[in-house]
Amino acid sequence: MWLSILGLILGITVGLMADIRIPPEYANYLSIAVLASLDTLFGGIRAHLQQTYDDKIFVSGFFFNIALAAGLAFLGVHLGVDLYLAAIFAFGVRLFHNIAIIRRLLLTKWTEKQKVRKTI
Amino acid sequence: MKKKTFSRFTIILFLIGLMVGIQYNTINEPESRESHDIWELRQELSREKQLHSELLSEISALDETLVKYDNASSASPEQALKDTVQELRISAGLTDMTGPGIEITIEPSPEAMAFGYEIEGISPDLLIRFVNEINRFKGLHVSIDGQRLVNNTAIRDINGAVTVNARPVSTPPFAIKIISPSTEDNQKLYNHLLGSRLIDDFFIDNLNVAVQEPSEKLTIEAFDEALPVDFLNASEGE
Repeated sequence: MWLSILGLILGITVGLMADIRIPPEYANYLSIAVLASLDTLFGGIRAHLQQTYDDKIFVSGFFFNIALAAGLAFLGVHLGVDLYLAAIFAFGVRLFHNIAIIRRLLLTKWTEKQKVRKTI
Repeated sequence: MKKKTFSRFTIILFLIGLMVGIQYNTINEPESRESHDIWELRQELSREKQLHSELLSEISALDETLVKYDNASSASPEQALKDTVQELRISAGLTDMTGPGIEITIEPSPEAMAFGYEIEGISPDLLIRFVNEINRFKGLHVSIDGQRLVNNTAIRDINGAVTVNARPVSTPPFAIKIISPSTEDNQKLYNHLLGSRLIDDFFIDNLNVAVQEPSEKLTIEAFDEALPVDFLNASEGE
């Protein structure tokens, strides 16, 4: 687990240090991509806790979600409809949902541990 | 198996971090980079210096008034106040002015007349451009076709007629009179007008700008209406 957090910290550091800037008109796409990847990440964590984690689904979901979100945003820009709102809405709702499930799973795990400790 | 999972998570998290970092950089970019070269900086400096010296001269003029008040307070305070009022009336354009000046006649260009074009009035945009151009020179008193320009003069199109102070400007030819604070300023303005590209702009509208030789004594009329003052009230008492 610590390795993953280290990866996150390393990613942020590299991103900040590398001083890469994308043109402001593409900033929207990147923010949506971040949202999509966060959604996939939490989905992955949930699946891991529910013992239904699958490597292929996780990795393909990551890239597919990002591409889909960026594609929707791109289409929206060209059609003059704010389609990226749909992506933000969908990912936002799922993010909350996933986090709620993760919280519940962790809580049940914790209470079970307490119970086990008490019985001992 | 677990190791593999965590390595996947690590890679994904690394990518997320990278994206967040880049996004942060992009959002926080706005401060524009200093790209002025030394000459632009020098020009900026000289502009600021000019502003500084203008402010200083304003301060010294106000100081002078203050000293005048101090001196006059014992002898005749009214006189000092009257002097100030007179100065203010002059700068507001409420008095006739006489001084070194230039008379400019805007007339239809000979080419347009030769072709038999219909003579149209000057456009308000062109007139505004002209006024802005001569306003590079400080302390001018200007009248357009007998209408004195004051601070709230409007030059605009009203029902197809170009108006200054809501009075229509006659179809060319008409005269613009400019009074400068000093003979040297007058000469400078004259030279500037002769070399100005503005005259070409007038020519596009089939108008010719005839700048007369600077004269030592030119008189322009006072602004003859009441200045509209909305928010200033006379104080009572004391």
